[in-house]
Formats: sequence, structure tokens, C-alpha cells
Amino acid sequence: MHAESHRQVQEAAGAWLARCDADDWTDEDRMRFDQWLNESPLHLVAFLRLEHAWERARRLKSLGAGLKSGGIPSPGNWVLSPFFDDAPSANHSSRPDAGMGSSGSSGMRSTHRRRGEVRRVGAFAAAVLLAMISVLTWYLWPAGSAYRTPVGGTASVPMPDGSLVILNTDSEIRVTVTEVERRVTLDQGEAFFEVARDSRRPFVVLAGDKRIVAVGTRFSVRREDDGVRVVVTEGRVRVETVGQSTQEPAELLASGSVAYAGAAGTVLQKGLPAQAEEILSWRSGLLVFDEVTLADAVEEFNRYNTRKIVIHDADIATMRVAGSFRATNAEAFARLLERGYPLRVERRGKELILRGR
Amino acid sequence: MVAVEDSLHGWFKREVLLHEAALLRYIGRVWRRPDEVHDLCQETYARVYESAVKSRPNAARSFLFATAQHLMVDRLRHERVVSIEAAGDVDALNVLVDEISAEQRVSGYQELKRLARALDLLPPKCREVIWLRRVEDLPQKEIAARLGIAEKTVEKHISKGGRLLADQLFGDGRMGGDAGGAVLDMEDDNARGKP
Repeated sequence: MHAESHRQVQEAAGAWLARCDADDWTDEDRMRFDQWLNESPLHLVAFLRLEHAWERARRLKSLGAGLKSGGIPSPGNWVLSPFFDDAPSANHSSRPDAGMGSSGSSGMRSTHRRRGEVRRVGAFAAAVLLAMISVLTWYLWPAGSAYRTPVGGTASVPMPDGSLVILNTDSEIRVTVTEVERRVTLDQGEAFFEVARDSRRPFVVLAGDKRIVAVGTRFSVRREDDGVRVVVTEGRVRVETVGQSTQEPAELLASGSVAYAGAAGTVLQKGLPAQAEEILSWRSGLLVFDEVTLADAVEEFNRYNTRKIVIHDADIATMRVAGSFRATNAEAFARLLERGYPLRVERRGKELILRGR
Repeated sequence: MVAVEDSLHGWFKREVLLHEAALLRYIGRVWRRPDEVHDLCQETYARVYESAVKSRPNAARSFLFATAQHLMVDRLRHERVVSIEAAGDVDALNVLVDEISAEQRVSGYQELKRLARALDLLPPKCREVIWLRRVEDLPQKEIAARLGIAEKTVEKHISKGGRLLADQLFGDGRMGGDAGGAVLDMEDDNARGKP
């Protein structure tokens, strides 16, 4: 019935995924790849599926945050990461052939019971270690530390109270933790905050004349030309204007909110936490565009790259772009555009110039 | 024209792939030959994709399941020897769809957890390569130098690792078309060449 078995298609798709990912991708590869893709929709969907998983796997990067480069943590040690606050595996079925039953939200089954036990012991040891480290850093933490990232860089900054700050490209913060307040001043750029619950000490972000206050929540703040954008993925935060009289009610933002606070006031856009998460995909090195104009996409890319993209012709600026892209690879983005859109890319010095075709 | 196609790929990734575990369960309940389940799943994807090229369905999920159902009915018709019980089940499928496919969209947090577990289930060498590539962002060439293996071997680990990650992330954790999810030993540099 089928000339080619399912397995052969999967293997070929995997091989192409790895080839595309290699550094020595040639014109001949490109030709053969296009040819393979066009042979059958089965090829195309198999490849899209792997490509998507591969793109999503970039999120693993956040697990490496704070780890020494070169050291690969042993399996099951994710409790050390700020992203995993629950000890894994205890409630997972360990039937090796539980069939089709990996239920969506509970994640995956661990296939070996023994690994689960090792993990629990590891989790305990790690928790003890983590507690010791936090006590140490509490004493050693310098007051008013400053952090900055270069264009295209991101950084995770753990705070002594257990909170975590993830800095986006070209951003700068100052961190001050005292007995009564945890304060981060965002001097430039964008940062995501995962706030540890501590009702005695509010967590305050200062961005220009805006003050964003949270207790135990996850949100991001980004400085824009004429104000501040706040995205809340969990919990609630309050946006105030510094020096404003108190009769003006402060904006209370719930989970899933995206708000722009400027001189003229605050524009609130309520959404779903999942959508808010999508806006924050930069944390895993990705830019996700959901049918935005090419002009907006390019502007976003230019925040992450010293190699700037310039749109030469106005009529291509309004074209819609969708997909997820690596934020720091403007060249790859331009190449994809050239392949899929009626435009061509001209490379001049440090600039990538897009012209209509 | 091509612009449309590009966002179609995005749609397929975002709206279709996330139902894979449910789709596999659905097909698995009806189809009596387990070794064909992944094959049917991919064939369903291909059909969904091809219809979406013409017009994108509003509700990706129900369209996906309806397509799978049609596909299975078609296959049964084309087979000379039809299993009566399988055919009977296909009629009962409508009831099953909602029950089985009530899959929640995974949150970013859950996805990261799945990824971490998927990573841990990779064979050790493969896990190492995927870590260096995805977390530390080393190019394939440097990974080869660091681990003292051939570049082609790195590529093979990525090929295998990518497939295993996809199966864990979207599917039921079984490797499509690869009986029992047996793990290849890829230390052999003389294994077959490029695609």
C-alpha cells in the first residue's frame, strides 16, 4: 500500500532535522531537502513535527540557567532548578507498557521504578544543599548589585529570597534586598520575575516612573519608548505611577493580563495565561509571532541583534509573519523570509536589507 | 501565496500536534493492529495538512479526529478481509471522541517539565549531545570535538534524540515505527551516511 514504511519516513525526517541543524548545510542539501519535502505530504508533516519538538526543546535552556557551563547534570536532578518546585516521579505510573495512557497534564511516565527512587533520594539531598546555599547567599549577597546583558544575551539572576529574575536582551537591572523590601530597578530593557512568596517584604519593580508591586507571582516588565509593558502569567500585580496622588486608583493586573502603562494612563488587555506565556517565549530564546506585520517582527528582531534588519520597501512592511524563530539568528530569519515571501535579502555591511521582489 | 503556507506550518505545529497523545489513544482503541497506530496518525496529519492548504478548519481538534475516523473507514473499505469488530467500533467512535480528546493545552511550565523528563529518558550519549546542542548551544562540530566522536555521529544522535523528544513531547512516548522504542547504539561511526 505504501512504498515507504512509516519507520523509513520517520528516520528520514530525523536525519533531515539533524542535517538542517548542522553547520555545513550546503546548496545541494537544500535542493535534496526541498525535493524530499515535496515528494509526499507525509514527509512534510513528519518533518514539521520533529522541527517543532526541536524548537520547543530550546526551552531546556532555562534548566541550564545557573549551572556551570560544561557540566551536564545527571538525570532527575531538576529539583535544583527554580522551575521545578515539586519532587518528581512519586505519583507517576511506572508500568512500562501503560499503552497510550500518558495523560496530557501529568506529563510523562517514568519507565523505571528504580530511577524514581533514586530521584527521590537525590531530590532530598538537593533540597538540603539548596537550603544551605540560600542561607549562605543570604549573608553574602551584596546590596544593590547591578546586572546587564549584551544585545542578544539573556541571563538568569537568582535572588537570595528565592526569587528569580530572567533578563532579556540588552537589559539592565539593579537589585536591592533589605529586611522590608525586595526592589529591582529596571534601567533598561525587559525582565521576567518569578517572585518567591514573602508577605513581609513586597517585591517592587521600578521602571521609569512606574512602580510594579507583587507578592508571590510571575510577571515581566519591559521598558518601551513611551512607557512600560507588564505581562502577568501568574498571581496579581499592581501598577502605580511614582509620585502620583493616592486618590488615583492603582491598576491591579490579574494573571493573563498584558498592560501598557504610559504617560496617558494604562491600557489593559485581558487574556489567558497561556497567551501571556507565549509573549514571554524569549526566555527560551525564541520569538513567537502570531501573524504580526513584518515591520513589527523586524523591530522585535533588531532588539536582539547587532546585525540589524532594514525594510527597504514600504509595501512589504505590512506582510504578515507567523512562526517561532531563534531571537539571536537574524540571518536565519532573513533566509526564511527570502524563501517564503516575495522579497530578497541584500547583505550590506552589518545590515540585512529586505527589498520587494 | 507562500506567506500563507508559512503560517500554515505555524498553525499545524501549534494547533494540531498538541493532540497527538489523544489521537494515538483514539486510533489505538479502534484499530486492532497496534503496529499501525503511529502510521495512521501520520497519515491523518498528512490529510489534515492537505485539507488545510485549501482551507484551514476552525476547530483543529475535531477536524483532526474526524479525519482520523474517515481514514480508518477508508482503510477498512480497501481491505478485503474486514474485521467485523473493528468496523463496529468505528461506528461507535463519535461518542469516544469527546471523551478521549478532552486534552488540556499544556502550560509553559508543564511543557518544560515534559521536556526535562524526555531529556532524562534519552540514552546517555544521546542525552549528552542534546544537552550540549540545545542548552549550551554548541554547534555540532564543537560537540564532536568535545566528546571525541565524529560529526556524523553527533548528527545521528540529534536525529535520534529529536525523534525521541517529539514522541515524548507530543505522543505517548513510544517511538513511532520503532518497535518497543529500542535505542540504537550510535557509537559506530561507520553507520550509514547522510540522508
